[in-house]
Amino acid sequence: MADSIDRRDFFKGAALGAAGLVVTTEKTADAVAAPPPPPVTLPTDAHAHDLAYAQAQSTVAAPARTVATQGRPASDFMVDVLKKIGFEYAAINPGSTFQGLHESLINYGKNTAPEILTCLHEEAAVAMAHGYAKAAGKPMVVAVHGTVGLLHSSMALFQAWADRVPVVLIVGHHRNPSGVINRPHSAQDMGLLVRSFVKFDDEATTLERFAESAMRAYKIAMTPPMGPVVLTVAAELQESIVTNEPRIPELVMPAPPQGETAAVREAARLLVASENPLIQIAKLGRTPKAWDLLIELSETLQAPVDTMGYSSWQKFPSWHPLYGTGGRGYTPDVTLGLEVTDMSAQARVARANNRKTISISAEHLFQGSNIHDYGRYADVDLAIAADAEATLPSLIEEVRRQITPARKSAIEARGQRVAAAHKAQQLDGIRDARHGWDASPVSVPRLIAELGDQIGKDDWAIVSGHQFTGDWQRRLLNHDKPYRYNGDCGGFGIGYDTPASVGGALAHRKNGRLSVAIVGDGDLNFSPGVLWTAAHHKIPLLFVVHNNRAYHAEVMIIQRMCGVRGRGNENAHIGNVISNPDPNYAALAKAYGMYSEGPIDNPKDLAGAYQRALAKVRAGEPALIDVVSQPR
Amino acid sequence: MLCSLLALAALPSLAAAQAAAAPPAAPTGNAQRGKVVYETTLRCFACHGYDGQTGTPRLVPMARAEDIFLAYVRRPATPGMPSFAATPEQQLRDVYAYIRSIPQAAPAADSVPLLKGILDRRTKAN
Repeated sequence: MADSIDRRDFFKGAALGAAGLVVTTEKTADAVAAPPPPPVTLPTDAHAHDLAYAQAQSTVAAPARTVATQGRPASDFMVDVLKKIGFEYAAINPGSTFQGLHESLINYGKNTAPEILTCLHEEAAVAMAHGYAKAAGKPMVVAVHGTVGLLHSSMALFQAWADRVPVVLIVGHHRNPSGVINRPHSAQDMGLLVRSFVKFDDEATTLERFAESAMRAYKIAMTPPMGPVVLTVAAELQESIVTNEPRIPELVMPAPPQGETAAVREAARLLVASENPLIQIAKLGRTPKAWDLLIELSETLQAPVDTMGYSSWQKFPSWHPLYGTGGRGYTPDVTLGLEVTDMSAQARVARANNRKTISISAEHLFQGSNIHDYGRYADVDLAIAADAEATLPSLIEEVRRQITPARKSAIEARGQRVAAAHKAQQLDGIRDARHGWDASPVSVPRLIAELGDQIGKDDWAIVSGHQFTGDWQRRLLNHDKPYRYNGDCGGFGIGYDTPASVGGALAHRKNGRLSVAIVGDGDLNFSPGVLWTAAHHKIPLLFVVHNNRAYHAEVMIIQRMCGVRGRGNENAHIGNVISNPDPNYAALAKAYGMYSEGPIDNPKDLAGAYQRALAKVRAGEPALIDVVSQPR
Repeated sequence: MLCSLLALAALPSLAAAQAAAAPPAAPTGNAQRGKVVYETTLRCFACHGYDGQTGTPRLVPMARAEDIFLAYVRRPATPGMPSFAATPEQQLRDVYAYIRSIPQAAPAADSVPLLKGILDRRTKAN
């Protein structure tokens, strides 16, 4: 019964608020009713909204307002903490458990640094932050509603965890919830809901602790191995009045750990003595410096660089002569893994064949996880618990020191062999794009080659992953800058590419880079609302929908299972395809206010569509092209 | 899941495997019926593309003889390939006929201006 009264009161308050009247709460003892304002036509975008509001204010006497608080709101102090950390953006989906912080961000904080990004789903908010962090090299803050918002965001937090990417998430709740609505949004231990896949969580019970926890959370998120963190902040604390303002501590970032000197020397010895060394990389490249350092190491050793599979950040130029695994018949006798989470397979093969493996990774500092992404136990010959990027300078120096003139000539000869083999392989790989060149639906290599042709003179960046487009992006486009590619999701879960691309494009916007994303139709359907976010915040980005009208990996998996059981493939489409009716993604994008074309199934129509859409993107808007594609 | 697909992707094309062999004998099945079976009953397009050229492995040009093709799809050697042991023989022969009917010639890469441009840029890169 009490709950039903609370509920009625809530909706009564909401209705009054919607009518432009003062909302009365427990704290507003002196509320004064004001006459309702004249109707105002709803604007269509943020700027128009500001304009309409200003006009309304200038012509209508301002109604008396309730002063709900006397003194400095605690959430204003929280905004000062966020500003001191240096967050540029705050991705939010609104919720009453952080209404205090929300109000402080927009009014006290003037909605700048951090500027609010309005997201239509919490998963999209965190995924945007994920893509942004990889492109910008720093996290954005995300604010979500108690329990419900955090649970919505949990999948994207998992992806950031698996991808070792920093995200700072603030979740509100009520310490003393009242009413049927507030209670489910509060928890005894909010962080527990996502603790399996965040590096750190804490609840700030005082302002002093908020300031310290925010600094600590940022520091932990950014210290290798990086990852998402969660800070729970009670609504009561946000909405309290500062009585004794604490000092905001300085943000002091620890230097990342470097490899121990003797171990680095031994790694160099093995690599210099090796006849066929191989460098493998995964989560390497916290900063653009890693790009140059890795090129330097590989060229000093003339060792091929294998960027591995979809879990890699792939920070090595794709048309570099050393990009690859050495060519046919190249059998590595020493394999160096840089931030490779799981080297168990390499270690097993090496031990069985009298070869060596070296692992330099912050993963060796791992403190436990409920998620099995740490892989199997890897009995490498030399494990160095350190940040690989921070260790590369000393490793390069030691390699240079140990190379004798005799080894130098052998190393140079190896480099020529490897470069020739890679070049031949890569040219063959490009030639393979001719198969199905004129096919309809459009082949994946044609989709990518036509795109590359249109952006070749721009400073472009691919902000989506390549999990569902095979190796074609790297084959057909020269990834010659560290920002050309932003990596995959990390956790092999669908729904990352579309929102993460918006975050990546946001990071590239201030550098004037042209962002493009190739997203699957399956992925797009998880967070289509992020199209609106891109349009609303004018984040320039071309979405190309690789629309094979199915969860195609699963189509193949189920067909194989049908075959294994001998029951035929006639029903294999059930539960896997996204057709009948065929979704119209161009219409979807238009509905969210974005320029779009499609569906396009004739490859000859691609170039024109790309040109028109890219003209919009170069002018500062997002656009979408829906391409009906071959299955894979 | 992805591992098996990647293993499949690494396989050479069926066509390339026997490219040097003499052209196989004419198919005995019905290509028109085979197209329907390829696209809707057996759903071969899922891995091999609608035209047999865009998937992995590619099916055209098909160099296997008809009976060898039937033996292979009934008991495939590759882990990602479904077995069609229970599929009626006529359906398999019709699919074979359809695959053989698909225009086989992909353009030479150098004859496609866009691809030639990429090849030239890659050649000059190092």
